[in-house]
Amino acid sequence: MKNCDQFRELIEAYALGALDLEDRAALEAHLATGCPECGKAVEEARWLVSQLAYTAPQAAPSDMLKGRLMQTVRAEAETQTKPRVMPAKSAIPFWLWAGVAALLVFSIYSAWNARRLQDEIQQANSRAATLAEERQTVEQQLAAAKLEAKILMDPSSVKIMLPGSDAKGPQLEAKWNSQLGIVVMGDKIPMPAGHHVLQLWFIPKTPGMKPMPSMMTWPDANGKLVMLVSNPPESMDATKAIAITEEPEGGSPWPTTTPLWVGGVS
Amino acid sequence: MFLAAFTSRGPREVPLDATLLSSLLQKDVSAFEQLYDRHSRLVYGLVLRILQQASTSEEVVQDVFLQLWRNADQYDSSRGPFVPWLCTMARNRALDHLRLKSERQRRREDLPDELPSVVVAPDYEKALDEKRRAERVRALMASLSPQQKKAIELAYFEGLSHSEIAATLKEPLGTVKSWIRNGLLRLKEGLQATT
Repeated sequence: MKNCDQFRELIEAYALGALDLEDRAALEAHLATGCPECGKAVEEARWLVSQLAYTAPQAAPSDMLKGRLMQTVRAEAETQTKPRVMPAKSAIPFWLWAGVAALLVFSIYSAWNARRLQDEIQQANSRAATLAEERQTVEQQLAAAKLEAKILMDPSSVKIMLPGSDAKGPQLEAKWNSQLGIVVMGDKIPMPAGHHVLQLWFIPKTPGMKPMPSMMTWPDANGKLVMLVSNPPESMDATKAIAITEEPEGGSPWPTTTPLWVGGVS
Repeated sequence: MFLAAFTSRGPREVPLDATLLSSLLQKDVSAFEQLYDRHSRLVYGLVLRILQQASTSEEVVQDVFLQLWRNADQYDSSRGPFVPWLCTMARNRALDHLRLKSERQRRREDLPDELPSVVVAPDYEKALDEKRRAERVRALMASLSPQQKKAIELAYFEGLSHSEIAATLKEPLGTVKSWIRNGLLRLKEGLQATT
């Protein structure tokens, strides 16, 4: 093991950074023991070595270097000395929050109101459509009633009686106007059973020709039956009789039951 | 200005390095500029001598002074003079750069810390002002034998170890150790003799 004197021989080279690894490790281990004399010697040796800097020829760095340095330093100094701007309690003032909240409420209300108005408009349109349909129905009924009245009142209309197959049952009466059409009416007419309707037939005079199907309907709740045919055969001459049968709902292309009422066309 | 750094305040009231360093702790840009103007020629000359390339040397000098600006609090003026501390830092940085450049990483573990250790001035430090001491150092180095001077320069400016210098100069290791030790002791004695 080396003593202090032996380590002292290494101290200048140590300060110079010239010691090889083994010597440097040994000296540093000794310095780590806290040897005050060697410690002080190292510090002084560092000063001595630092004096070698004077042996290098002094030289002036470029002005650009100083410019860069000062620019950096001034920027950093400004950053570090600039009073920190404390953020406000809230970057957005209260009144602005209130405004945003009010706008939000108003927007929600506007959307709700628009939806409500839209629903109301839709309902009104639906009611208007219903009323238009009802009006159209009424107008059709009125037109039918006017046509019925014309047929009934017209002196050229031919009256046709349709006695029932049941002699005790009600009979029907028809008026045929070759220009306006045919009206068949009756009272106390029973409602057809099940899903059946009353269907009108035109029975041609020509032997072998099938009965011509016409309109279908039901009596109303009071048993009143009205059939209006606006497009009967062009000539009554070709028709032998008119008859009414009970047919399945939707009608039939030819009679499937015995006629309940039959009236001869004279 | 350079001389005034190590003398008492004269009629021009030039501040001492220690005073400027105190101001540097308060991020005084003016104090930094004065320290740069005062010592940049010495630092740049040293770094340029080591690196032999102006642009790279300026980069290192910039790093050294920015390190001073940012870590001025790590320099303890009560434990040693400023200029040796600054030169030690500059040399370490330059040698570090030199070793990185030459990819000689083998001795990276030998590198001193980023900030140099304490550099305690001996009693004879104040015997001469900086300018005269610089002249004295140059004169003493010139008086060494060429081998002593060369060995010390290889160690100081190129960061070579005893064995590397021996290999470079093709001289025995013990001889190189003696040249370096004797040369540095002669330098020390020469500076002491000025008291």
